[in-house]
Amino acid sequence: MYAFQYRKASSLKEAGELLVKDADAKPMSGGMTLLPTIKARLAQPTQLIDISGLSELSGIEVKGGELIIGAATRHQQVASSKVVRDALPALADLAAHIADPQVRNRGTLGGSVANNDPAADYPAAVLGLNAKIITNKREIAADDFFQGMFATALEAGELIVRIAFPLPKKAAYAKFPHPASGYAMAGVFIAQTAAGVRVAVTGAGSGVFRWSDAEAALMKSMDPTALAKLTVATDDLNEDIHGTREYRAQLVKVMAGRAAATIAGKN
Amino acid sequence: MAKIKMTVNGKQCTGEVEDRVLLVNFLRDSLNLTGTHVGCDTSQCGACTVHVDGRAVKSCTMLAVQADGADVVTIEGMAKNGKLHPVQQAFTECHALQCGFCTPGMIMTVAALLKDNPHPTDDEIVHGLEGNMCRCTGYLNIVKAVKQAAGLQHK
Amino acid sequence: MDQHQHLFDVGGTHVSRLEDLRLIKGEGCYAADWNLPNQAHASFLRADRAHAKIVSINVDAARKAKGVLGVYTGEDAVRAGHVKPLSMLTFAGKDGKKALIPERPTLAHGRVRFVGDLVAMVVAETELQAQDAAELIEVEYEDLPVVVAAESALAAGAIQLHDNVPGNLSFEQEAGDAAATTAAFAKAAHVTKLKLDCTRVAPNPMEPRACLVAYDAGSESYTVHVPVQGINMMRMQLVAYAGVPEDKIKVVARDVGGGFGQRSIAYPEYCTAMMAAKALGRPVKWVSTRSEAFMADSHGRANYITAELALDKDGTFLAMRLDWIADLGAYLHPAGPVSPMRNPVTCLNGVYKTPALFGRWRVVLTNTAPVSAYRGAARPEIAYTIERLVDEAAAQMKIDPAEIRRRNFIPPEAFPYKTPTGSVYDIADFPGVLEKALKLADVQGFAQRRAESEKRGMLRGLGLSTVIENSGAGMFPKDEVLLEVATDGKVTAYSISHSQGQGHETTFAQIIGDALGIPAERITLRQGIAEKGLIGNHTGGSRTIVGAGTVCHIAAKKLIEHATPLAAEQLGVEPSQVAYAKGEFQSKDSDKKITLGELAAKKPLSVTGEGKFGSTFPNGCHIAELEIDPQTGVTQMKSYVTVDDCGTVINHTIVEGQMHGAVAQGWGQIFGENVVYDPETGQLLTGSFMDYAMPKAGWISDIHIADHTTFGTISPLGVKGMGESGCTASLGALTNAVMNALRPLGVPPLDMPLTAHKLWQAITSAKKGN
Repeated sequence: MYAFQYRKASSLKEAGELLVKDADAKPMSGGMTLLPTIKARLAQPTQLIDISGLSELSGIEVKGGELIIGAATRHQQVASSKVVRDALPALADLAAHIADPQVRNRGTLGGSVANNDPAADYPAAVLGLNAKIITNKREIAADDFFQGMFATALEAGELIVRIAFPLPKKAAYAKFPHPASGYAMAGVFIAQTAAGVRVAVTGAGSGVFRWSDAEAALMKSMDPTALAKLTVATDDLNEDIHGTREYRAQLVKVMAGRAAATIAGKN
Repeated sequence: MAKIKMTVNGKQCTGEVEDRVLLVNFLRDSLNLTGTHVGCDTSQCGACTVHVDGRAVKSCTMLAVQADGADVVTIEGMAKNGKLHPVQQAFTECHALQCGFCTPGMIMTVAALLKDNPHPTDDEIVHGLEGNMCRCTGYLNIVKAVKQAAGLQHK
Repeated sequence: MDQHQHLFDVGGTHVSRLEDLRLIKGEGCYAADWNLPNQAHASFLRADRAHAKIVSINVDAARKAKGVLGVYTGEDAVRAGHVKPLSMLTFAGKDGKKALIPERPTLAHGRVRFVGDLVAMVVAETELQAQDAAELIEVEYEDLPVVVAAESALAAGAIQLHDNVPGNLSFEQEAGDAAATTAAFAKAAHVTKLKLDCTRVAPNPMEPRACLVAYDAGSESYTVHVPVQGINMMRMQLVAYAGVPEDKIKVVARDVGGGFGQRSIAYPEYCTAMMAAKALGRPVKWVSTRSEAFMADSHGRANYITAELALDKDGTFLAMRLDWIADLGAYLHPAGPVSPMRNPVTCLNGVYKTPALFGRWRVVLTNTAPVSAYRGAARPEIAYTIERLVDEAAAQMKIDPAEIRRRNFIPPEAFPYKTPTGSVYDIADFPGVLEKALKLADVQGFAQRRAESEKRGMLRGLGLSTVIENSGAGMFPKDEVLLEVATDGKVTAYSISHSQGQGHETTFAQIIGDALGIPAERITLRQGIAEKGLIGNHTGGSRTIVGAGTVCHIAAKKLIEHATPLAAEQLGVEPSQVAYAKGEFQSKDSDKKITLGELAAKKPLSVTGEGKFGSTFPNGCHIAELEIDPQTGVTQMKSYVTVDDCGTVINHTIVEGQMHGAVAQGWGQIFGENVVYDPETGQLLTGSFMDYAMPKAGWISDIHIADHTTFGTISPLGVKGMGESGCTASLGALTNAVMNALRPLGVPPLDMPLTAHKLWQAITSAKKGN
């Protein structure tokens, strides 16, 4: 762990300014990815700007057909919130299966989405539901937000304030966790809305992506059997000691089937 | 360097630490509370679990300065007035520990789990232990102890 | 009522452990919990590559960094003479040739040979300062070719790791009867051949290694706080490695957070800390991270075996032949190569009366972390090899797996049984063990359960293994236990065998309590107390109950014998007129009595018991029933039955706990644990719990544990040891269950680790082939 300066931001405005002023400063919310990275000496920030306590980043509410969650809301709060459970149970379930209880007690929605780990769970829900990412500068559509491994549309000093999830008719998330890390080897979020079906996949590729063939098939019939004849293109999938591209493609298909079955009430 | 102040096991504690000092190091090195252990450096093993403001956290993945002003409970604070916490009691009764190194973290995690969910199912117990690793027990007696503690707490 | 029944009466059922109270309250004292006034902190710079010449090391910036007290490199290690770790591989091999032992300076000198090899040590006022400074050290390397796989290391033209080890072959041995084996194979009706990899795993006790070394210039002596399996084993190795007289090193250890073989080594970090503590005149503390542990703690297994079994047309075993390659990594740990050279030979025929056996063993060096004992220390490997062969042969010959075992078991009336490789199995009842297990596992009902799984699209398999292992013998001349009686009648016992979680404080107290007729709670065991000067083996090889455990009984009996005349003197009668019971001596013809405590108040009362033991042979049958999801390749445990003969059981709760943990480690090895190095670069690809899949809660479900006891004849207690049998039996049972599930699809024999990925691939390609 390199030395750094810790600073608790007193307001969103101050946090943004501090980050703009010092390009090597980093915002920290739950710190569940950032601190292990710093501990491993893989990052050397000059300052950590702690934004976890900012009131602007808190709150969970349903408004105008959207579930709006403050960026500093911890995974455990999302998982156990009655508002979330009633409005969008798939998101509560997803949050309840991120990492482990201790991490869920610290990690936050905004931190996870801003970090955009290719195997994180939240990005699948954000993209699957076509959520809006509201920052201290603007609103960004999910389709424009995620830009591949650890890359997002966020600019220097730009912080996620809240995320607005349009409420679907139905939604479900199924995940195949990596046996060691617990991260998704394949996580599939399916949302059924008035506009159609969106299928977002995390863990299998270099970043969260939509599986359009599955969207078309499930639009016709929200049933696992609708996926039977589909194949997942393997070109952009990950391959490592834990699994080949072909295995990850299979897991995507199986997880998509499980999520579809949940929506269809067949589990 | 930062001056910090927190309540640890009911006592006010102060200290001066480098910003980069982890909560677990503050507890172990500055307060000499060596019951909280460090078993890994990637936030997986949970041996360092303590309660911060009532919730289980991995003290190896939190800076001491982040706990400034917090209420912290460690394994040393679980037994009260010479009486073991029901989870501690259940761990010994069920032979849920062998080498004992993961045990403090396990106990802190289980105590927090049962606070949120006093009657967990087997699946919920296993899910609740995902952030804690044990190399000795195969977890069988730990799961048993969680169930026993759930019963003990309602006696 | 058998002769050992008394032990069951004392607490052979279910007793809570005496050591638990401090551990559940956070009051244990593990290696990193020690601190000394004025201590400094060490951090190591490790090789970031697998094989390279060290061209130069520049430590100037590190030396000048804030808080730095000293920086040490291989030059210092060589100057100090810290270059030759102890080797226990001293016996002669093939053609009478001794092993070629490479040197290992405690800090690499001239060359690094694996990722994690020690390059330099920085000592500073704080740990963070030491880490910061270590990063300022500049090393210029000249990369060398890398050899990761043991077979590649043996190949002609392979890069040679050490000048004194041509072809990277440190040692070669043969055992058995080559001619008889060749002859038996020539007339066999059937031969089954398998190539089996017992993959490299990381022992990963939960407590990372740590040491705190203090040097006293006045007496020129060191105090070394380290995790151990026994302080004498540790001291013996430190003496050899650091070249310091035995009476100048005191090893201190209290609670040890798991061991599994990994603790029985004097690692170079410890000797380096000794060097720095002496140079600086300050205590030096080092605490390993888990990342360092994955790189530089001893690894386990890494044995690669080609095995053949010859059978006649009825499935009777005629002969077995092995070609065994043991990958020991870049250097030899003191006992590392001894395990795969000795233990497989001791139990080469397993539980079977196979008449002809022959094997060839090779110790090979590679650009990987050094390997040493891991729970079972090559006992699981030989058992796995035999049980895979037996199951595969049964399947090929269409004989029921239980039946082929029955046909070949050494019969109960044959004990003591001298094996073809010269071991003497003391006593066992293999058919009894097997039949009990078959019944408990409801093997009869398996076909129906399999059909039911099939309906749900799942593949179900049942696998068994019947195994035996050697335990009891130790390398030290004897095991001693000292008993001291306090004036309140409480007894303190001292042993060298050191628990790393096995619960000696409870088991030993039960044995002593049984012999003295006093409650176990009145006996306190203290381990790792160097001042008592005891001789004894470390805890390892499941031997402690046979060695130190038995000596607890002997010492307690000796205490009564020793105290009887003293009591008689106090009571004013002849010793023959004094009877001992339940902590009291009583005159036979009067009411006069004196307690142990009262006697100790008159004059200090203590005895040292001792004993030396050969091998005894715990054995058992495990039956695993598994379900595999062909969609994902994920395996789920449906049931697991163990029937073990570990002789007399002192404490069932502890025995069950050992079984749980060992089966979980077996499960871990079969289904995911695997240390993987990049074959080209030698980089460690499984360097943390993010990539190395160690079992988590829920991975194994309830285990049905039962005994089928024959009383061991080596110890007067009838005990045999059992800490490792769960590993020894589970590797074969689990793999055989997987093969039983997959064989009908046409899946060929698979090797561990049977990850979900590998099983899915095997299932998928078998289906494509059909």
